[in-house]
Amino acid sequence: MTRDNSIDKILLRVAEIMIQELKLEDVTPETFDPVIDLVDEVGIDSMDLATVALVIRDEYRIRIDEDDYPKLTSVQLISEYIERKLKEKAAEGAAV
Amino acid sequence: MVVTTENNGPERNRLSEKEWKFSEILALPGILERWQKVKKWFFLRESTYDMTNRCNIRCDGCYYYEGDKQFARENRELEAWRTLMQSEKKRGITYVVLAGAEPSLVLDLCEVCHQEIPLGTIATNGLIFIPESIQYRIHISVWGSDETSLNVRKAKNMLQRQIRNYRNDPRAVFVYTFTRENIDQARQVAEILAADGCRLTFNMFSAPMDYDGGLRHTADSLKECRKAMLGLLEKYPDNLLFSPYSAVAHTHTSGLHELFSCPYPRMNPSTAIGLGRSFRQYRTDLSWNRSAACCVPDTDCRDCRHYAAGSAVVTARMFRHATDPDIFKAWLDYVDTYLAVWVMGYEKGPNLSDNPIAPPGHGLL
Repeated sequence: MTRDNSIDKILLRVAEIMIQELKLEDVTPETFDPVIDLVDEVGIDSMDLATVALVIRDEYRIRIDEDDYPKLTSVQLISEYIERKLKEKAAEGAAV
Repeated sequence: MVVTTENNGPERNRLSEKEWKFSEILALPGILERWQKVKKWFFLRESTYDMTNRCNIRCDGCYYYEGDKQFARENRELEAWRTLMQSEKKRGITYVVLAGAEPSLVLDLCEVCHQEIPLGTIATNGLIFIPESIQYRIHISVWGSDETSLNVRKAKNMLQRQIRNYRNDPRAVFVYTFTRENIDQARQVAEILAADGCRLTFNMFSAPMDYDGGLRHTADSLKECRKAMLGLLEKYPDNLLFSPYSAVAHTHTSGLHELFSCPYPRMNPSTAIGLGRSFRQYRTDLSWNRSAACCVPDTDCRDCRHYAAGSAVVTARMFRHATDPDIFKAWLDYVDTYLAVWVMGYEKGPNLSDNPIAPPGHGLL
């Protein structure tokens, strides 16, 4: 089955990962504000972001550069990054 | 323990060829449990504080008496320190390191810090007992045998005096600093400490800026240090808080910054997240300077192999270690070691990794 990797689906899944990994309460994937700053407003730190980046790497099978993940400080930014990486991966696959 | 000099055995190659998912690594025996154990402490956010510009001894190569921080005015006002600690707590600091020059000379200030932020460590030469009401880890610096201490630190019977003060004290961790001159003495010191039931860990002399004395390490002395560390780890597993990967990270010919990209503000201009965002190093006048902020100011960054630096520098690089089980286990051992050394009540587990493993992207030496 082909996975639906539309940006809306990615946004929801990333929010779900955030809630699970960071044990956030009183928020659902649907109510998670995608532009909220995870560092300034949610209070997560670099180790949390690294953990989330590893879970995302597993789930989407994309390469995440170590220099990149500290900049991915909102669900929106993470989702756009995933979308871009998936497109690059698809283009590489097509080229082969 | 087999000490390998190459990191390319067939088993290692087999593991490296596979592209591991993080979830697969965590699912392997022993790893998830250790990961969950160390992960609980990721909330620690540290800053360091020079408490006084005085010391009761004067050691060759002491980082404190380099640079201009030694000339900062001393602030001895208890309420000023209390206000500082309260504001530190507000900006998210959960862990303090009370260091230069000798915090045991200002016990009232240490007490105030502990009342406001209960997690922390005091770095001391151990000659003055710190009361038990201050439940911080106490790191007692050891620089070799008593004969060497007399030469380098101008203090008589130092180890015996330190042990007398801190034998059976659950706060105490003796920190043996390897210099180029005292490598063989580590065996004698470890034997004495182990016989007295004391715990110890290892530090590496890291030259202050412009230091041209004889303690700076060479490639040969680094190799000798590693050999001594691994031998002692095998001999005193119950007393020594250390791991094979700790030995590799701190005795590599490349310093910590070259191996792991130091995230302290002095080497990291980013203020976005992590240590670059929150870490400060306060002087005795309670001022701080971002451009100089690191855990051991005025150390030559190229030569930095300091145990305090490594605790943050290696730990912060979790992402690059999550590529295969061997390297992740080595990283977990390192973090387990660092927490046992720095956090009261945290008990180190057995090392998951028996052999030295090369840091990601580097060779073993």
